[in-house]
Amino acid sequence: MAEKIAILGIGMTKIDGAMRDTKLDDLVFDAASKALKDASLTRKDMDGIVIAACDELDGRSISSMLEAAPSGSYLKDEIKVTDDGAYAVILASLRILSEHFNLSLVVSWCKMSEAPVSDVMRMRWDPFYHRGFGLNHTATAGLMAGAYLHKYKVSEDISARVVVKNRQNGSRNKNAHLQKPVTLDEVKASPIVSWPLKMLEFAPESDGAVAVVLASERKAKELGRQPIWVTGFGWAVDSYYLGDRVLYDSPSLRIAADKAYKMAEINKPLKEIDVAEISDFSSYHELIAYEGLGFCGPGKAADLIRKGVTENKGDLPVNPSGGLLSSNPYTAAGLFRVAEAYLQLVGRADGHQIPGVKKALAQASTGFCAQGNAVFVLSK
Amino acid sequence: MKKHEEAMTLKGGWSVEYNYAVGPTGSKFFTALKDEAKIIAPKCPKCNLVMLPPRSFCERCFVPADEWVEVGKEGTIQAFTIVPYFFESLPDPPYATALVMLDGANTAMANFVKNVDLSNLKEAAKKLAIGKRVKVVFEKKREGTINDFHYELI
Amino acid sequence: MKRNAAIIGVGETPFTSRQDYTNPELSQQAALKALEMAGMTMDEIEAVVYSMAPAEFLGVLDPDKWAVGAVGGLNKPFMRVHTGGATGGSAAQAGYYHVASGIFDSVLVVGADKVRECKDSQQVLNTIWDPMYERQFGLTTITMAAYQAVRRMYKYGTTEEQMARVAVRNWANAMNNPSAHLKGKITVEDVITSPYYSWPIKRLDTCPSSAGGAAIVIVSEKKAKKLCTRPAWIKGCHEIANTVFMGDQMGGAADMDYADWDELAMAAKVAYRQAGIVDPLKEIQVADVYAPFTVTELAIVEALGFCRKGESEKLNESNFFDMDGEVAVSPSGGSLCNNPIAVTALCRVCDAALQVLGKAPPKMQVKNVKNAVATGIGGSFQFHTIMVVGSDHN
Repeated sequence: MAEKIAILGIGMTKIDGAMRDTKLDDLVFDAASKALKDASLTRKDMDGIVIAACDELDGRSISSMLEAAPSGSYLKDEIKVTDDGAYAVILASLRILSEHFNLSLVVSWCKMSEAPVSDVMRMRWDPFYHRGFGLNHTATAGLMAGAYLHKYKVSEDISARVVVKNRQNGSRNKNAHLQKPVTLDEVKASPIVSWPLKMLEFAPESDGAVAVVLASERKAKELGRQPIWVTGFGWAVDSYYLGDRVLYDSPSLRIAADKAYKMAEINKPLKEIDVAEISDFSSYHELIAYEGLGFCGPGKAADLIRKGVTENKGDLPVNPSGGLLSSNPYTAAGLFRVAEAYLQLVGRADGHQIPGVKKALAQASTGFCAQGNAVFVLSK
Repeated sequence: MKKHEEAMTLKGGWSVEYNYAVGPTGSKFFTALKDEAKIIAPKCPKCNLVMLPPRSFCERCFVPADEWVEVGKEGTIQAFTIVPYFFESLPDPPYATALVMLDGANTAMANFVKNVDLSNLKEAAKKLAIGKRVKVVFEKKREGTINDFHYELI
Repeated sequence: MKRNAAIIGVGETPFTSRQDYTNPELSQQAALKALEMAGMTMDEIEAVVYSMAPAEFLGVLDPDKWAVGAVGGLNKPFMRVHTGGATGGSAAQAGYYHVASGIFDSVLVVGADKVRECKDSQQVLNTIWDPMYERQFGLTTITMAAYQAVRRMYKYGTTEEQMARVAVRNWANAMNNPSAHLKGKITVEDVITSPYYSWPIKRLDTCPSSAGGAAIVIVSEKKAKKLCTRPAWIKGCHEIANTVFMGDQMGGAADMDYADWDELAMAAKVAYRQAGIVDPLKEIQVADVYAPFTVTELAIVEALGFCRKGESEKLNESNFFDMDGEVAVSPSGGSLCNNPIAVTALCRVCDAALQVLGKAPPKMQVKNVKNAVATGIGGSFQFHTIMVVGSDHN
């Protein structure tokens, strides 16, 4: 990449279950304020704001109307994307690379506790061909998991071990929603939500907000900072129609990762990346992501699990933060991945810090069964 | 582009219920309304803007606004309208709403204006003109919502 | 060194109340039209920006995902942009930044809406307001326009007749635009006697609920010079977000009055500076503006610098803003005659670009357009977009 994007600071609220005492506006203000403070900058310094939210989960039909102010947007050039907070990083980066912007605040949030989540997800399917038979986000994920299971015949222990790993990691992250580890038996014994996926194999529904301050390379140098750099990013999307997709694989993730790796000059991700924060909406999402990200060949994700490669002590720790399986503020989940990757690089991941991180990867997804994917490579 | 003669229609819908967290700022405001028949407003510690409807921060200065002041129970109309038309799920017409700057506040807050004869729109519009004074009338039975009060022309 | 980008293809479906096509199908129709004008195939497009505002009108959420295949987005970088009514303007700007970043040579910005798919759009537009403090009073976009009209009447003595003239001109202009939803010869009397929705806003002061799709193709300088003899260069663009609270824009402590659109003037200043425009009235021949209500156009033309605050009412009584006047305002009929919310602001960009490309429908085409400006508006008259397109670049 000709020019890199600098991350000057981040702000995260605690991620939790129903935060009944906190209005959405205040959650957003908290994250935005924290990020500015972390970057030692003020709202005045920002020349652009990019936000990411889902109206229907926010229960506000143009969510940015009410959330632009707490995102710091008053009389600023503000724009909103809807896919995921990580996509706001993409658009903000494009704006910075165009040289029209130098300092941007990126903010994303979600309070799943306020929304009728399943009904919102049901309404994302078209009414003609998909809505007639009970498809929501969990049922659709079941179709994906079933396809992977059929193709590669993994035992239920494998996907359960993803959950055990991530929940164990979450128990070390004081910011995570779920901070209690679970055992293999508990996962396997949890009720089936959408075969073959069991309840504990799904991410919870969480509330949380996160913000990141981005700068152009020139501005970061001008400010005399030693920032973390976004050295590569890529994004791509698959077909909407499940029957058109190869559900046990993720071509859009492959394409997104290839673009990010090319920009960041990464040839062997498993070797060159020190930690990865990926979007494990379900246990199988993580398995499929290993393959899409090129950590292993097709059908070999189970090997990585068996050998403990993605455990904290392994060659490539995945989701030391606990991932989505521990914290899932849906629309903001991908931006939390970027923020967690950042924390690993600056050595501020406290109880869940992986030692010696120089290069980190963050992956976000959008749509059913990760129809769309975005990948970022971050470096010291 | 050909038009389909027998194009079909499919009926559908969704009924969505949300559980909005009101937050400490709103809760304080609604509690004062309900329990004390008072209108209180947060003030920005930097620019002193007294803000209604209440919010927990000043968007101009981007700082938390946690000082509270009580505002007057009378105010001045800043904008108004009268709706004689029926819209799905909205109140039965006719109704009048106004953005009123209560004495002591720096921003105007919306509510119904209820004591105006709305049968002749032009006449009603004259009565509700910008600059006219209104008073806050608290409902006898209050529930801690924005409908705990309304405006009436003085 | 900032990179140049140009619009070389534009596509709009005809807009009507009801369309017997799905959102993806309408998007595709518009995309194919834009690609045809650009002389490109879908495969040549490197990235897609999907323009979609509230999806509740449509009743299918995240319809951008549904439309991926229809607009050639498969396997490509794809994102949706949503800033309420300003969505189309924001999406166009996002598309511009894709190309100006240097990463992409060609981007398709596309979308569609079917506002009448639901029973009553204002039912949805009531839910954009704060759930605790505002929705309870039947607030809609129409009451919002009513508040602005009342402020203008107070500040400038605006009359309903002066508002009506805006409708008369836009409807007449729309007769030259095959895409426009509403069009015809109406009189001030027709407007004045149409039923009140929310005093003083009447039916003919109000935009329709429209259905249809729009698309633009934005390419890099190298590609523009190769494919197009007269590209519409994107010379300047900016967005600005005001406070959501209408009541914060009234009275002594307000940064600006709700009667005016000072924030659009701020955005215009930035866009004009980028475009090298010093005297808007002299240098801009066409302004295709997002005025969903007659009264909003009065504020817009002042914010764009064509006249001073409070002057537009009087100027509307002359031919100042007509096709043959000092600056042609909304020769397409603008948003007053066409409002497919998800892409309305994109249509403004389409119609402004057509003028510069010299490819507008013959009677809609203004002569010798060097610069055209397109605006967008969203939220409680909160989000403003502006884009300047022109026949030369910096």
